[in-house]
Amino acid sequence: MARCYSPCSSSPTTFLSLSSFKHEGLVSGRMRVPERRNTTLISHGYPSLRSRKQFELKSSNGHPLNAVSSPDGLGGKSSTEEPVENRGKDGPVVYSEPGKAKSTISVTVVGASGDLAKKKIFPALFALFYEDCLPEHFTIFGYARSKMSDEELRNMISETLTCRIDKSENCSDKMDQFLQRCFYHSGLYGSEENFSELDKKLREKEVGRLPNRLFYLSIPPNIFVDVVRCAISRASSANGWTRVIVEKPFGRDLASSGELTRCLKQYLSEDQIFRIDHYLGKELVENLSVLRFSNLVFEPLWSRNYIRNVQLIFSEDFGTEGRGGYFDNYGIIRDIMQNHLLQILALFAMETPVSLDAEDIRNEKVKVLRSMMPLQIDDLIVGQYKGHSAGGKSYPGYTDDPTVPNDSLTPTFAAAALFIHNARWDGVPFLMKAGKALHTKGAEIRVQFRHVPGNLYKRNFGTDLDKATNELVLRVQPDEAIYLRINNKVPGIGMRLDRSDLNLLYKTRYPKGIPDAYERLLLDAMEGERRLFIRSDELDAAWALFTPLLKELEERKIAPELYPYGSRGPVGAHYLAAKYNVRWGDL
Amino acid sequence: MPTLYSPNCSYSVYYSRLATSSSSSLSGCQHRITVSSIPKRLHSQNVSFESPRNHRRNVVRMQGGEVAATASLPANETPMTTFKDELLKIKSSEEFKDVAGFDFKEEPTVSITVVGASGDLAKKKIFPALFALYYEDCLPKHFTVFGYARSKMTDAEFRDMVNKTLTCRIDKRENCSEKMDQFLKRCFYHSGQYDSEENFADLDKKLKEHEGGRVSNRLYYLSIPPNIFIDAVRCASSSASSTNGWTRVIVEKPFGRDSESSAALTRELKHYLEEDQIFRIDHYLGKELVENLSVLRFSNLIFEPLWSRQYIRNVQLIFSEDFGTEGRGGYFDHYGIIRDVLQNHLLQILALFAMETPVRLDAEDIRNEKVKVLRSMKPLQLEDLVIGQYKSHTRGGITYPSYTDDKTVPKGSLTPTFAAAALFIDNARWDGVPFLMKAGKALHTKRAEIRVQFRHVPGNLYSKSLGTDLDQATNELVIRVQPDEAVYLKINNKVPGLGMRLDNSHLNLHYAARYSKEIPCAYERLLLDAIEGERRLFIRSDELDAAWELFTPVLKEVEDKKIIPEYYPYGSRGPVGAHYLAARYNVRWGDLCI
Repeated sequence: MARCYSPCSSSPTTFLSLSSFKHEGLVSGRMRVPERRNTTLISHGYPSLRSRKQFELKSSNGHPLNAVSSPDGLGGKSSTEEPVENRGKDGPVVYSEPGKAKSTISVTVVGASGDLAKKKIFPALFALFYEDCLPEHFTIFGYARSKMSDEELRNMISETLTCRIDKSENCSDKMDQFLQRCFYHSGLYGSEENFSELDKKLREKEVGRLPNRLFYLSIPPNIFVDVVRCAISRASSANGWTRVIVEKPFGRDLASSGELTRCLKQYLSEDQIFRIDHYLGKELVENLSVLRFSNLVFEPLWSRNYIRNVQLIFSEDFGTEGRGGYFDNYGIIRDIMQNHLLQILALFAMETPVSLDAEDIRNEKVKVLRSMMPLQIDDLIVGQYKGHSAGGKSYPGYTDDPTVPNDSLTPTFAAAALFIHNARWDGVPFLMKAGKALHTKGAEIRVQFRHVPGNLYKRNFGTDLDKATNELVLRVQPDEAIYLRINNKVPGIGMRLDRSDLNLLYKTRYPKGIPDAYERLLLDAMEGERRLFIRSDELDAAWALFTPLLKELEERKIAPELYPYGSRGPVGAHYLAAKYNVRWGDL
Repeated sequence: MPTLYSPNCSYSVYYSRLATSSSSSLSGCQHRITVSSIPKRLHSQNVSFESPRNHRRNVVRMQGGEVAATASLPANETPMTTFKDELLKIKSSEEFKDVAGFDFKEEPTVSITVVGASGDLAKKKIFPALFALYYEDCLPKHFTVFGYARSKMTDAEFRDMVNKTLTCRIDKRENCSEKMDQFLKRCFYHSGQYDSEENFADLDKKLKEHEGGRVSNRLYYLSIPPNIFIDAVRCASSSASSTNGWTRVIVEKPFGRDSESSAALTRELKHYLEEDQIFRIDHYLGKELVENLSVLRFSNLIFEPLWSRQYIRNVQLIFSEDFGTEGRGGYFDHYGIIRDVLQNHLLQILALFAMETPVRLDAEDIRNEKVKVLRSMKPLQLEDLVIGQYKSHTRGGITYPSYTDDKTVPKGSLTPTFAAAALFIDNARWDGVPFLMKAGKALHTKRAEIRVQFRHVPGNLYSKSLGTDLDQATNELVIRVQPDEAVYLKINNKVPGLGMRLDNSHLNLHYAARYSKEIPCAYERLLLDAIEGERRLFIRSDELDAAWELFTPVLKEVEDKKIIPEYYPYGSRGPVGAHYLAARYNVRWGDLCI
């Protein structure tokens, strides 16, 4: 289709994506041509400038523009200059000679031997390389405490790399090329000295190019700040940009999250911090805004006038399985609801943003989060799975996990009803449900519409009109799909109605496969696209909704309702839904 | 599904409905639409439509809705024929018995006489539909099928003829031949002239034999040329109508050639028949997806808010056939595609699509709304019409004939075999929304569909991702009536992958995938409705008048001015003029975009 473009190809149509999303240049060869074409669009407002201004206005943290150690050199730019957030002294040069590969990007994965790094980050980086989405020149560094040679790291990484299903040609070639760019540096997370050594090595690889550096912190939260301190003071780019991707948890509550943000901001400016919530990188979550804002048929329906309730459902079919140590300290509410589900809710419910720029979208998300009432304990159900035997097999209870204290009250299941106090959503219950060790595995958004007023066909529906309402379902995973449940006449003589689906099943419509969320997010971070990362004030607003309740839960030592491993979760969730006249769509 | 009850054609469900329903003549199927009981109830209410309470009283008086629905029916000036008054008196007691005591000993019988039994329609559609109804246990327990035509034939010969066309539904073939035998045993033939009262009196005698003293209901299906409609109706109603049950007549198109001839036909029919004895069939109204149109609109919250000029940019009603007249152009040439398809099938769908919400699903309520919307329309203007005629075309060594190559068509015929038209409804809901119709023979494809194109998204955030042609980025709801029934909604969706590429995807409901059962033929539904007295899908006289009024002036003008149709090759996409007509209203045909 002529109007479509594929940003990971080097075709000139790429510029469309750039124009709509205003990626920064400098990242890769493929960006350069488009970037030049894109100059006409600068007057529309360049994100870095806009974000800067808006950040000043909106940030609840109120940090100054130029954080002490910000290497981005943002503050001094006037809006008439070339809007390259990240260029240092060489910036203009780079920009004026976009055809020559002068910049490089170094991705340092801190905590390279960890699970996330092995399972997600390196494979995602390779997939990006395989799809030609990485800049022409790049370096990948693993950083961890363990002693390892470059070769050992490469061996470790190569075990998890896979080629995309659709074209496996040249896979091993590509893999070799990729591994050649991977290096390892062993060091302590709190040692400035070790990071200086890393800096030295990075410089060697970057020589002669404008260096941009991305640190991916795949480490426990208690050493976040140490690493950021060392990395920024010793190993940040001298004249390119330096960005840091941070993984959850972002604190345990409003206070600790605020503290973490404050500490990070000592070393980083707001726009160097990329808080990742990988659910925002999921295809169907990305598509949510497309559905809403590019289809006339949906937007008129998107309000309390037509929507009866919204359900955000997450379930896993396994428990902590011996890895409960981290989880027990956080629980399902912090682990899933306060971040993943709430982020989806905000995207779903936000007002139309001025544009698709990161700051415009995040402004709207903050607004909707701030329009919500903190969750009340009456609107929450917590559960914990217990041991269960089925078919001769016995499944352990949560507290059977040796890494979990025997008397743990940590919820492994929670259901909550939230409300948004604004003109669009007043009175519409937003129900969330998340749990481990349930009967199924999936994540979905269900939008239940109201009854048809004065339904002519009500005699055909029997007494339960609840079952005859329309429902829009976005199945985020697995088996991505969108479907709209409609009432339809069953073909045949007579007038029998049933619910059928207007169905869009991704695997039949798009056989090419869907990239992993981490690919998208890593690429966005490299390109400086912040749309899918969580801004500090968003994070604050999110914590403000959950903190009072979490405190109450822990202080009152509220015992979770126990449910069998592999079941549909505690019955309490139904009663919670019933309280708001809702029926869970998934059960 | 627990919430949705499933009124198949099985017996004895819903006794309560039987009690409220007047049509006790039906042992099966009458409960198939709960609401269908209402119309009957209401029909009997001469004064008011709004008193559902006193149905018991009504039941006593009514006979399958024989009493005209006067309240909202302007067309009901017809004099009552005497037999009707009689039957009402007689029938009352029968009816009452049923209601009071579920007394089925005196089950009524229905006799279906197909007048023109040797014709094509009868063989291809009517008898197979009757058999399908029988096979599905939808016919009353006692029924008789009579063939009536001029040719001499014995019952056995007739049965042989019928037998050749019968098929069993794909989904259950058990007992098919058994069922077929049983069915054929109820089929009889009577040879006679269409205008001979005497011959019809003979038929009456035979019918009485088969009815064997039961309350007799009689349905005549006139599958004959229009010039003998009236004769047959006269003879049937005077010499062979039921004395103690109802008598109904199904009439096939053409219903005249224009306002005048149609009105004359109606006037003459009303000489012998009441409004509610006349069942004008438009088999498109019996199509599954057309039936589903109202269900989609009125039972789904998500569609009704969109159903207006505020969101809908245009509506397209498209009909195409991939063959020409093929030696059978005699009838067609006299009518042309506008009368043959636009003025009836497509306009009927348009009316159903665009009507306001009816008070109920009763026949009269729905038809009232259809009449209203038809009367809100402006007559079609000549400049909003494009006509075409197919010419011969050679492709792959095969030569396809032109319309005028057909031996049954006059050489200089200007009869359109293709037409595209833009119509407008002057009411609050639809002001300014073009309703485009397109119908043609000998086109590249065969289909019938309704396409609803929605407006652009105002202030579309993704306009940059959609390129310059926003017309291709609008939503579209497509209801594919045939073949391969489906409902789908074209939406913009993100193409999975890195970056932001949008494309059109379909939220799809493909009938073949969703519903394994075969979809019944339109004639089955309509025949059953006629037997049950359900008039929802039949065209009332005032509807027909309103429909003709929209087309008569332009038809006259086309003929008076001898406007020459635009020629298009056999098997092509039709004349280019259709695109210019659409472009004039800023519309793009949805079926030719792909």
